[in-house]
Amino acid sequence: MVIDLDKCVGCQACSTACKAENNVPHGSPDEQRLRRDIYWNKVIAVTNGKYPRVNTELIPMPCMHCDHAPCVTVCPAKATYRREDGIIVQDFRRCIGCKYCIVACPYGARSFNSKEQEEEEYHRHDLPPDRNVWGQWPFPTRTHGVVEKCTFCFHRIDQGIKEGKKIGKEVVPACVEACPAEARKFGDLDDTRSEVSSLLSSRGWIRLREELGTRPKVYYLLK
Amino acid sequence: MNLRFSSIEGKSRGYYTAVGILALLSIMGCLGFMVSYIKGHQVFGSSNVIPWGMPIVIAIYLIGLSAGLHILAFFIHILGRKEWIPIIRMAVFMAIVLIFGAMVSIALDLGRPEKSWRLFMFFYLNNMTSMFAINAIFYPCYLAAASIYLMMLFADNEKLSKIMGMVAFCWAMLTHGGTGLIFGLIDSRGPWFSALKPFEFIMVALTSSLALLVVVMIVTFYLTRRQAREELVTSLGKLVAGFLCGVILLIWISELSHGYKPDNGASIFMLSGPFSWIFWGFQVFLGEVIPLFILFHPRLRKTVKGVATASVLIVIGVFFERYYLVIPGLAYPQSYFPGKIEGGYGAVGSFPITAIETMISIGMFAFMGFLFILGLKYLELLPVDESGRQTPEPAKKA
Repeated sequence: MVIDLDKCVGCQACSTACKAENNVPHGSPDEQRLRRDIYWNKVIAVTNGKYPRVNTELIPMPCMHCDHAPCVTVCPAKATYRREDGIIVQDFRRCIGCKYCIVACPYGARSFNSKEQEEEEYHRHDLPPDRNVWGQWPFPTRTHGVVEKCTFCFHRIDQGIKEGKKIGKEVVPACVEACPAEARKFGDLDDTRSEVSSLLSSRGWIRLREELGTRPKVYYLLK
Repeated sequence: MNLRFSSIEGKSRGYYTAVGILALLSIMGCLGFMVSYIKGHQVFGSSNVIPWGMPIVIAIYLIGLSAGLHILAFFIHILGRKEWIPIIRMAVFMAIVLIFGAMVSIALDLGRPEKSWRLFMFFYLNNMTSMFAINAIFYPCYLAAASIYLMMLFADNEKLSKIMGMVAFCWAMLTHGGTGLIFGLIDSRGPWFSALKPFEFIMVALTSSLALLVVVMIVTFYLTRRQAREELVTSLGKLVAGFLCGVILLIWISELSHGYKPDNGASIFMLSGPFSWIFWGFQVFLGEVIPLFILFHPRLRKTVKGVATASVLIVIGVFFERYYLVIPGLAYPQSYFPGKIEGGYGAVGSFPITAIETMISIGMFAFMGFLFILGLKYLELLPVDESGRQTPEPAKKA
């Protein structure tokens, strides 16, 4: 995924679309205060300088789906693993809720589901974990006591591949689709003809916390 | 040696009261766990910033208290320090109870404890690159090794005791080193990442467990009307003092290595941040400075009271050391992007104390005490000296 920081206006459409798409509970102000709210995608604001000479960067942060993902290394139950296409998924059925992955993740991309959510929070019953591996998700709702995170909407990607659609053009994750400024682009980084590859070759880019060597697959184009 | 061991009679009113209170508190802890299991971890103080709470603090504290006790076995069997034989059975039994408690405590912190069997599906359903999975080998095997060692001590089999004592000792070091690595290997957490962590954990374990042994020995001997021999206590005091110096050295080398590098925000946060009063007040002053003063004081170090006071302070200080490592260590905000991260994502985490978590914590300690005093009644753990002149006099029937 490539995110153009020049285009991002910080409208949070990506966060909202993610919640709607993936049955992510909406949370409450209290949970927000206690930092127990579940976000698969968040937008942080980073300021540098002092008023009046101040600059604010808006950084949308989904899961970085790192090549060297610390969460995959530390998960004792193989609940978090890398699919062949590089997406890091979280299997709620395997997760024992030890939270070691939340501790190890350098991007705060993971959230713990700390309560039984209202039934209305889960309106889509056809969602992760990986249906290719496990068949249809057997429970009508997700359970508390497990860790959740962004899946790059792999259910969309899998469905798209099955239907022969072009990934990155006809099929994209919900956050990419919802972005009004088209700041997010999704595609195959290994494919030199993909839009994401051409974007990366045309502009200067960074990845977050590069010094940790996690090799994230979310790239940020600089302003 | 003219040494026999006996159990206590355990029929006094005081004993039954203690059993009753500890059992009640344990049941309360159990109820707390049931509430947390049904309602989810919203009843805990933990959050997405500080995902680990009191059960993990208690777990690593208990592992620490347990793993070091086998150093006595090392001294007795390898260095021939026979004067500590009278307390070895009690020490090993304590170690078994504590490691069991630590494992229970970890299970209490799991979101889905019913799936914890996955941890033990080695190389098949679990991921052996995780320190949790590796420790799932260390902890139960340590429990087993210590149990076999205790059996050999009960059987008075000197040769096998020596072998099992060494196995248990080595395994205790692995267990504690492994626990340290859970923290030391996490690169993204500035206050934790350190190759010294396993050694720090081992040293803290040795200190705190011997200090606890001194406290438990004095209390148990006093309550069962035995006399804690002064030389025994002061010789343990010397060991504790030595290990405590090691702890201080390792902790400060670790802090120095964190503080010296250009990216020293984590170290500054730990030493002068909003939680630093726990570090300076409880860990350093209460748990290190005062005990060191007592244990090196020419007169105080030779008294049972002096060593006992120092030991109590160390046991309390090490608890705060664990607390300080886990909770403020996690509260330090991660720097996702250069600059000041606005709002909650850049704020220092907070950890409210909740009723259910407190119930579970008290219940855990009560459960340990409950198992221990049951052990005193049903196992021959305490020494009896037939001559009746020195430690300990035969237990008088209450």
